[in-house]
Amino acid sequence: MPDRLVRAPYPMTKVFYRPALAQVLRVDQLTQSENLLALRMGTGEPLNHEPGQFVQVSLFGYGEAPISICSSPKGKEGFEICVREVGTVSGAIHDLEPGDWIGIRGPYGRGFPVVELEGKDVLIVAGGIGMAPLRSLVGHIRDNRRRYGRIIVVYGAKNPAAILFKNDLKVWFEDEGIELYVTVDSPDESWTGRSGVVTSIIRDLDLGSSASMNAVVVGPPVMYRFVAMELFRHGLTEDRIIFSLERRFKCGIGKCGHCQVNDLYVCRDGPVFRYSELLGRSEAVEVWAPEEQ
Amino acid sequence: MAPLKQVVSSEGLFDMLREAMKELPVIAPAERKDQPGFHHFARLQQAEDFVPDYVTTTLPPKKAFFQPSETLFTFTTDQPPALELVSDTEHFVLAGVHPCDLAGLDALDLAYSQPPAEVRWPADRGLATVVGIDCMPDDYCFCSSVGTCLTRQGCDLFLTKVDRGYLAEVYTPAGDTMLAKVRTWEPTEADIRDAEQWRERKVERMTAHLEADPAEIADLLEAGGLAHLWKETAERCYSCGSCNTTCPACFCFDMHDEFDLSLKTGIRRRTWDSCQLLEFALVAGRHNFRQEREQRVRHRWHRKFLYLYRRLGRAYCTGCGRCSRACTADINLVDVTNALIAHARKAADHA
Ligand SMILES: Cc1cc2nc3c(=O)[nH]c(=O)nc-3n(C[C@H](O)[C@H](O)[C@H](O)COP(=O)(O)OP(=O)(O)OC[C@H]3O[C@@H](n4cnc5c(N)ncnc54)[C@H](O)[C@@H]3O)c2cc1C
Ligand code: SF4
Ligand code: SF4
Ligand code: FES
Repeated sequence: MPDRLVRAPYPMTKVFYRPALAQVLRVDQLTQSENLLALRMGTGEPLNHEPGQFVQVSLFGYGEAPISICSSPKGKEGFEICVREVGTVSGAIHDLEPGDWIGIRGPYGRGFPVVELEGKDVLIVAGGIGMAPLRSLVGHIRDNRRRYGRIIVVYGAKNPAAILFKNDLKVWFEDEGIELYVTVDSPDESWTGRSGVVTSIIRDLDLGSSASMNAVVVGPPVMYRFVAMELFRHGLTEDRIIFSLERRFKCGIGKCGHCQVNDLYVCRDGPVFRYSELLGRSEAVEVWAPEEQ
Repeated sequence: MAPLKQVVSSEGLFDMLREAMKELPVIAPAERKDQPGFHHFARLQQAEDFVPDYVTTTLPPKKAFFQPSETLFTFTTDQPPALELVSDTEHFVLAGVHPCDLAGLDALDLAYSQPPAEVRWPADRGLATVVGIDCMPDDYCFCSSVGTCLTRQGCDLFLTKVDRGYLAEVYTPAGDTMLAKVRTWEPTEADIRDAEQWRERKVERMTAHLEADPAEIADLLEAGGLAHLWKETAERCYSCGSCNTTCPACFCFDMHDEFDLSLKTGIRRRTWDSCQLLEFALVAGRHNFRQEREQRVRHRWHRKFLYLYRRLGRAYCTGCGRCSRACTADINLVDVTNALIAHARKAADHA
């Protein structure tokens, strides 16, 4: 019988498409359509993620979806994800109860540049579910507060009932190290806070000398262009504006081609990109006005 | 290092496959029962079915490692679920692979092993002993334009037709073991010359050519200004995806779950996918960032000749001509690429 082929060994970073198992520890309903889940890997090992990274969450029989890790890397027990119910997998996630098992691949992707941001001022802009990955970043910054300069968080939600992570927001509000602005598009009678879109808050911010200011922006695609315009008015340059993009992932590791934005794989080269990296990439539709495409 | 060379007779080649078949499945080009005159890579039932001078198959031999649809793992709905990796590939021999298709396998080796590397493809690849064979071009072949004409990458044994049989180049111990089962002769100068002449004839007979090398093609795609050519091509294209599914250098796929009837167990599958299909770039909210056909056509060329060329240092086209043969709209990759080249050069002259 022919010998087995002798060839230089393949580099084996090893992604089996078979996920690892994780167990649901807690489920908190945050809003009508968003649940917060605390998970623990079946091995008991920590996930060792960076803020801004994602996991491929498997609900067997339903499929897989990329979901941001929304807890700080320092979390003692397991990690958290916040999921909005929009379709097949996210719907099945919403049916989960504590004790249930799901599949996890990852963490994957390039997260927020937390090391490069050290010593800098950071303006964090969240729209809707974009708060999920940014909660991980805020958590990381709070865990390492002295390494960062001024921290401003601007969070916009559709209406008061849609505000995520209310417990965290209370804590951040008390935290003198964080300037927090929460705004809603459509206030109701009970709402005493700010209303209007996030851009109006950004416009009024006093960023002082913005020389060391970096902005990290995660939200619905329509938000990116408008937020960027405001940031330019404050003197920020493209290399200091950071976005996280969303595509429909299949493999999550730069193989299947589904998430490609021109030459970039959102799953592998991102999901976090600097605006400057997206310049000239016509398929990064969220950063261009349609007429510019 | 120059490979060890031996000569095997034409009958000896069949004997070699017959010997291998005693121990292992042998996948090789055979005539299609449903389409006489056409060939496909299939498991040989008998060594005589092997067609050494076959014309390029419709589907590339990558299907021996990554089937058009394959099961990644099985799951149960138990708590916790039981997951089991599925690999139905066993050790096998893949014989009769043309140089362009060796290049295709090598291109996929490179793509799938980029970190984070997937295990599936290389694991299956490692199970195969690959026997290459040199060929003569038809009207669609253009391997000499993309530098894959002489590829020997990833093969254990390579055969070139010579007057008294085949000149066998031995690249690995696995290839040596296969060849050792049959009678061979030291090559004479005449054998070596025959093989060289075969390669010269092959290049001479090539009628299709790209008018620029891959480096220049990458540059001109990057420079852009080709919108009307994408549009023209898109106006003829049906977005059927055949150009992707027949391509040895395409490697996109989709993944989905299937329950079996009991709803207690199921499988996760992956299937070949095509960037020319409308749904490929669909994202949440039904938004599609390659909604227009011309965007998809452009993406295909960009991915093959620009993005992957820059990222991995090689064009993701092996010159096999399959996409052009398969296209019902008669869109010929060489013609379109040459039109792009001509346009870009003209534009540069005017600048
Ligand atoms: C890096 C990254 C991080 C992410 N992080 C999070 C996160 O932290 N939390 C979160 O909730 N989401 C997150 N997402 C988004 C999430 O992955 C998607 O919402 C995902 O599609 C959900 O999968 P699903 O199977 O539930 O939805 P699908 O069933 O695939 O549906 C997705 C969308 O398509 C629409 N759709 C599907 N089929 C149809 C149809 N036939 N007709 C019309 N519309 C249809 C649905 O309405 C929905 O809007 C992230 C995405 C990325 C890329
Ligand atoms: S095979 Fe031809 S018609 Fe079909 S998608 Fe490709 S180019 Fe278009
Ligand atoms: S693009 Fe066409 S000619 Fe090139 S490798 Fe793919 S199928 Fe062959
Ligand atoms: S999700 Fe497969 S390449 Fe990015």
